[in-house]
Parts: sequence; C-alpha cells; structure tokens
Amino acid sequence: MTWPSSPEWLLELQSRFGELLRTPLDRSSGRLRAGTEGYRPALVQAARAGATLSSAERLAVYHRQYWFRLFSVLQGLYPLTSRLVGYWHFNAFAAHHVLQRPPRGFDIDTIGDDFELSLVQQLTENATVVTDAQHRIEASAVLDAARVDAAFHRVTRAPRREPLRPGPADAERFQDSCLRLSDSVALVQERWPLCELRLSFVEQQSDEAVQLAERWPEPRHWLLARHASKLGLLALEPREAELFGLLQRLPLERALGELEAAAPTEERARLPERAQAWLARSVRLGIWAAFVPPQK
Amino acid sequence: MPRSLARDALGLGLRTRHYRELAEPWPELDYFEIISENFLSDAEGPRYHLDRVRERYPIVLHGVGLNLLGPAPPTNDYLDRIAALAELVDAPFVTDHLCWTGAQGVSHHDLLPVPHVPELVELAAARARHVQQHLGRPFGVENLSSYVEYTASSMTEWDFYAGVVERAGCWFMLDINNIYVSSQNHRFLPADYLARIDFSRVLQAHIAGHTREPSGIIVDTHDHPVADPVWQLYAGAFRQQPFPTLLEWDDHIPPLAEAVAELRRALAVRA
Repeated sequence: MTWPSSPEWLLELQSRFGELLRTPLDRSSGRLRAGTEGYRPALVQAARAGATLSSAERLAVYHRQYWFRLFSVLQGLYPLTSRLVGYWHFNAFAAHHVLQRPPRGFDIDTIGDDFELSLVQQLTENATVVTDAQHRIEASAVLDAARVDAAFHRVTRAPRREPLRPGPADAERFQDSCLRLSDSVALVQERWPLCELRLSFVEQQSDEAVQLAERWPEPRHWLLARHASKLGLLALEPREAELFGLLQRLPLERALGELEAAAPTEERARLPERAQAWLARSVRLGIWAAFVPPQK
Repeated sequence: MPRSLARDALGLGLRTRHYRELAEPWPELDYFEIISENFLSDAEGPRYHLDRVRERYPIVLHGVGLNLLGPAPPTNDYLDRIAALAELVDAPFVTDHLCWTGAQGVSHHDLLPVPHVPELVELAAARARHVQQHLGRPFGVENLSSYVEYTASSMTEWDFYAGVVERAGCWFMLDINNIYVSSQNHRFLPADYLARIDFSRVLQAHIAGHTREPSGIIVDTHDHPVADPVWQLYAGAFRQQPFPTLLEWDDHIPPLAEAVAELRRALAVRA
C-alpha cells in the first residue's frame, strides 16, 4: 500500500506556513514579538479572521509557539548556559542556532546536539558577554558552561552498551590500538565551578538565574558518567585526564611516553605506577567502549 | 492480539517530572500513556523508566510526529520504530493527530491544522489506513485544538474528523479539551461536535487544562487543572458510552499525587 500524495495547493499552503513559522521573532522592542506586518498576504488571506483576532494574529499564535517551544527545549538541555546568561540573551543565541540548523526528524531534543558549536561560532573566547542581569562575564565561561551542558546532553541520551573489559588476551591490542570512550561517559574540563552546579540542576525544577563563581586557579577535570538513569561526577587528577585524552588517539605505550614527556621531572618517577592505577580504575568503571585503530 | 483497556479506565500521561515519584506506593491508575517519540531512540534513561512502568501498568502510545497530513510520507524507519515500541509494551492502541507537523524537511514540532475539505478527508483516511495496517493494532487519530481556520474549508471540523475515521476504519482519539478550546476560538457549539462522534469507535479521550490569553484566544497549554466547562463536556460524552480517560499535563506539572487526584475527579464528574 502506498502513501498517497498531497495536492499541490496543500503543499503550497504548508510551504508558506512553514516559512512564516521559521521567520525569527522580532526583538527590536525589547521583547519577542511575532512580526505580523511581514506575513505574506496570500497566507493571511487563507486564514479566517475571528471576532477578536485578525487572521494574522491567529497565525502569530503558531509563530510564537514554534520559537518558544524550541527556546524552551534548548533552555532545558542547556540549563547552566541559559541561567548564566539569562533567557533573553540565551534566546538570541538559540535563535541563531535554530536558523542555521532547523529541527529535523521526530526527536525535538536533537536541536541541542550542536548548540555548543553554534555558540563557539557566535562568541569570541576572549570577549565578554553581558547577561540579562547586566553582569559582564567572560565569553569563555559561557563556552565552558555550554560544553558542560553539552556533555550532560550527550551522556543522558547515550544508549546502553556493554563496556570494554579487556583481559590478559588483549595485551597486544594495547600495543597497536587506542581506546574509544563510552558514549555514556564524558571527560569534562572546567575553568569555573560548573559541573557540580550543573549536576544539581538534574534534581531541581528551578529556573532561577545563577551567578558565576570565582574562576579556579587551575582547570579541574571530571568524569561524567551515567549509570541506568543516574548521572554522577568523579574528580580526575589533571594527569589522569590527560592520559585518558591521549589514550583516545594513541596506543598505550606512546600515550604513556607523551604523558611522561609532558610531566615535570619530579612527577616522572611515580608516573608509570600512577598511570597503571588510573587505567585499571577506568576499566573498572567501564569508561571505555572499544579498541579502535590509532588516529592518523 | 494486543491487550485492551477497560472502557472506564483512568490513565495519566507519563512525564519525566514524575519519574522520581514513581515508586512504592505506586499510584492508583489503570494505565499510562507515553509520548511515542520520547522512547523511539535507544537512549538508556527513558527506556529504564519505561521498563519500570510497563512492569506494573498497561501502556498506550501517543505520537506527535507522524505528520499525517504533511508533504512527505513518514519514513519506514519511523513507522517501524513505532511498531516495535508498541510491540515492546504490548500497547492496546497507538494514536497520533489529524494534522501536519512539518514541511520542507523541517519539523515544526507543532500540531498544525489543514483546511476541512472532502479531498483531504480521503487523503487523511487513506494514510491513516496505511498506518493502522503497518502497526497491526488499533490506530486512533486525535482532533486538534486550533487557533486558525481556513477560508478554503467547506465542511465543519467534526464532519471532517468523523469522515476520516469512518473512511479509514480507524478510531477516534477524542480530545475533549481540544473540542472546548476550538469551540471558543472558532465560535461553534461543542454539543454539535460531540453529536457527530460515534462513541463505539472512541479508543480513548483526553482531558487537560488550557490558558485563556489576554487577546481572548484559548491556547491548549496543558498547564492547568481541567476547566469546569471541559469536565461538563466530558461527563456528557462519557454518558453516551464509556471510554478510557487520560489526563495530559505538560507544563507546570504538579506532583504525581496531585495529578492523579485531578484525574480521579473524572469518577465524580461522570457518576
């Protein structure tokens, strides 16, 4: 049995309607407004006016709904970022992202998949961002927040897979392969205290603004991991995080070599032993998904 | 043969807000309804909670992404995933909306109306028939709440809706709140709408809250308790012939006990 085609007139109507929905809301008045004056007359005439609302105002209900639904989804997926910069500014970033990458497919949450990359395009690392509360914060803090939110988003949505449990028989594979991180974990680096704050949002219903705390003297590293439906954070030592990063692109021996070369002299003597312990713990925690060929 | 629900069953839309509250003592409900699209991926989190719930309650599927009157057919992958999910939970039935949701490759994630004309009755019926065959279980189409009517419409919404169900051989997924919302927005009598419904073909009815905007238009927000006029309509409909009743609550969602209490008002209203 086939799926019968739509008549041309319906395709035309839907094309115009879709175009209207995807037109960004007007921000010039200081609030988000559907610019009904720009609606195409053919579509406005196709809609029937009512007793209290014109046909354009009726179409505007859908216009607003399209944007506010997507803003709301992105705010939910990026709660740290949105509550840090405030919803007005966040929605401007979100609108830019949605215009570049309109939602496709049945899963509305995919709209959040590349949002942190969109922010990278929209913000310069060394610039500052003015928040809704008129605070000036470093753009790099906003980008860090977006990376943290994105990590939570990816880990939350990851399917369940059996982790890699290498045994003695896999010794050779460590010589010529690197490791792929499981989708249900993420390595996150933060320059401000963001990860634990973000984890607290999982339990909260609040949408109150948050203020950025003091920047850490040195970046901190976390392993974000999901077990069943729960998310947890495990603090990593900087060298440990570095090793896990290296193992994703180099075989074990070369990764250890690079780790040692980058370490200060006083750390080197104990590094092999510590690396062994970190690796053993990572396997115990099930953070690796598979052996994969080294990156070229 | 999929299992069935009692005609007087009471169910609640499963929402993430309630996941943590779903534990002993489990709420006194006859079934849950899930938004199909929230469970189509293989993400572990939603599946974990679905497994907990389906061990204890029947589950029905309610979709928002079929795009029945959209420009392009649903992919086989989408329909296969819906069918597999329905099979997994042994859903008594699957429902979606009599609307379009996307065009030109973009999903608008909204339930958009079409003109009510005989040509589209035939189109929607043929497509709904296709979906029901593909799924191999009862398929219900839901009436919309809408904010726009088209000058091209040549028939009432209820004739359009009933025509689709009759010609497709599918079922009504009757949203009582939507009838009320649209009746206020488009100035018709809800009684006229209900008079056109064959209640022997109602798979389920939805009830929900709505919001009246300052402009006077009512928006189907699902963020309030059910309004009194909707309860009155519901009672009248239920007396015609009982049907499973499902409460939807999607925004400003109250604690689980409160949502269940709101649903159970149905027992008093229809007594």
